[in-house]
Amino acid sequence: MSRLVVSNLSINRAELPVVSSVDLTAESGAISVVLGANGAGKTTLLEGLSGIIPVAGGAIAIDGRELQKARPGTRSREGLAHVEQGRTVFRQLTTEENLRVSLHPGADIAEAYALFPELVQRRSVKASLLSGGEQQMLVIARALLTRPKVLLIDEMSAGLAPVIVTRLMTAVRKLADDGLAVVLVEQFAALALSIGNRAYVMRRGRVVYDGDCAKLRQSPDELHRLYLGGQEMAATS
Amino acid sequence: MNALLTSAVAGLTAGGTYALLGVCAVFTYRLVAVVNFTGAAIGTAGTFVLIALFEAGFPIWPSVLAGIAAGTLTGVAIGYIMTRWFGEATASTKAAVTVALLVGLIAIGLRLTGGQHPHNMPELFPGSAFRLAGVEVTIASVLTIGLAVLFTILSDLFLNRTKVGLNLRALADRPMAAELLGVRVQILSLLVWGMTGAFTTFALMIIAPQRSPNFMTLSLLVVPALAAALIGVFRSFWWTLAGGIALGIVEGLASSIDSISQYRSAIPFLVVLAVLLWTQREARWDEAR
Repeated sequence: MSRLVVSNLSINRAELPVVSSVDLTAESGAISVVLGANGAGKTTLLEGLSGIIPVAGGAIAIDGRELQKARPGTRSREGLAHVEQGRTVFRQLTTEENLRVSLHPGADIAEAYALFPELVQRRSVKASLLSGGEQQMLVIARALLTRPKVLLIDEMSAGLAPVIVTRLMTAVRKLADDGLAVVLVEQFAALALSIGNRAYVMRRGRVVYDGDCAKLRQSPDELHRLYLGGQEMAATS
Repeated sequence: MNALLTSAVAGLTAGGTYALLGVCAVFTYRLVAVVNFTGAAIGTAGTFVLIALFEAGFPIWPSVLAGIAAGTLTGVAIGYIMTRWFGEATASTKAAVTVALLVGLIAIGLRLTGGQHPHNMPELFPGSAFRLAGVEVTIASVLTIGLAVLFTILSDLFLNRTKVGLNLRALADRPMAAELLGVRVQILSLLVWGMTGAFTTFALMIIAPQRSPNFMTLSLLVVPALAAALIGVFRSFWWTLAGGIALGIVEGLASSIDSISQYRSAIPFLVVLAVLLWTQREARWDEAR
């Protein structure tokens, strides 16, 4: 049973605050969905969690072990995996080589192929030649082989056909059901809320909603208001 | 005819060294994305440790080992600067930093080694290996070319057959993605710098007796080395190897022709210019249209 606890986290870009005082929790077996309009700070939040950019304040802990000052590699070895947006496959390596790079002790490549059997036929193909959907499957499978406790996934549906997005969402739900703690940043709010447990909505770097996914899914107007803000909503209606 | 052949064969030692330095430059560029202008200076630092120890009366082979260790450490130190402070910089910024470091290394090196003061550089492998068409081929020539071929083969095998090599290829492609997977990026980068430092040092130890062994001259061997790397377009180890050897042979031939021998040091520049013009021809054509 693992638990990611983020407390009072602030992250700056070019000395300007982009994420402010964020509290967030992710637990084994559950998907925490992070929603928000473009520029809300979702990607910056994940990049701060995995160590791509330094945090300005606050704490990040997995099972009580604080990681906010650790390098990305150390966070990975402590069980934090980050699937970045943009499908960051190693382009010159084959599918299988991509998987072997991330193979941590105790992991087996067969787990990756079990999650995405679509990749078996493509194991010897250079990653740059895979389709967008296959590349997204590959980076998720690659992250899985690091034996993570917490999996951060950023905008996995961007630019993909709906049928592929549904396939990926099903796989992510399965990973959570198998015991992973997942933090999912997503633009397709309805789909993400349908597989998620806990929802966070961010606006201008702050969390403006922290609650149940099912409840938010049943109130699209509330979600709309949270995305745009009370005043803006009033102005547009 | 025999004079030309003799000159061409005489260029083999230099060619082997250019090839090895060039292959090291490609290795560094492909794996840590740095066009490294300090390559030869790192080897020179190690070579001068050998010279200092030898002049102080230490036995030669322990001094060689100490020199290689010093070259390796210098490579690791330069690598630490590049990965610690310039890891996320653009390729052009990194190249500019290595030029600055080269200038710094030469300045420090000249100061510590007495500038143009002549040194007693021991010849590690004196004598002839065999005769080729009536021309003596020195052991130094065979060794430098052998070392360059060995480094090329080892590089290929290492990158394609080992897990560390696989991690290095991933690191070269997307450093941050590799680090996010737990690849020990900094240690692997330092390994690349250390390995190239060791090989470069040994190559320079072999060639130093045939050159004017001062810190500046040896450090500037980076110019023909980068010309060789350019022939391989900073990707192909084998083309770089062939390019380096060819450069040495052409230099050797040029030295035997009176009218051009004084310009032979300009040959690498001409090669750089020719390769750049050749590789940019399509861009110029597109622009002209």
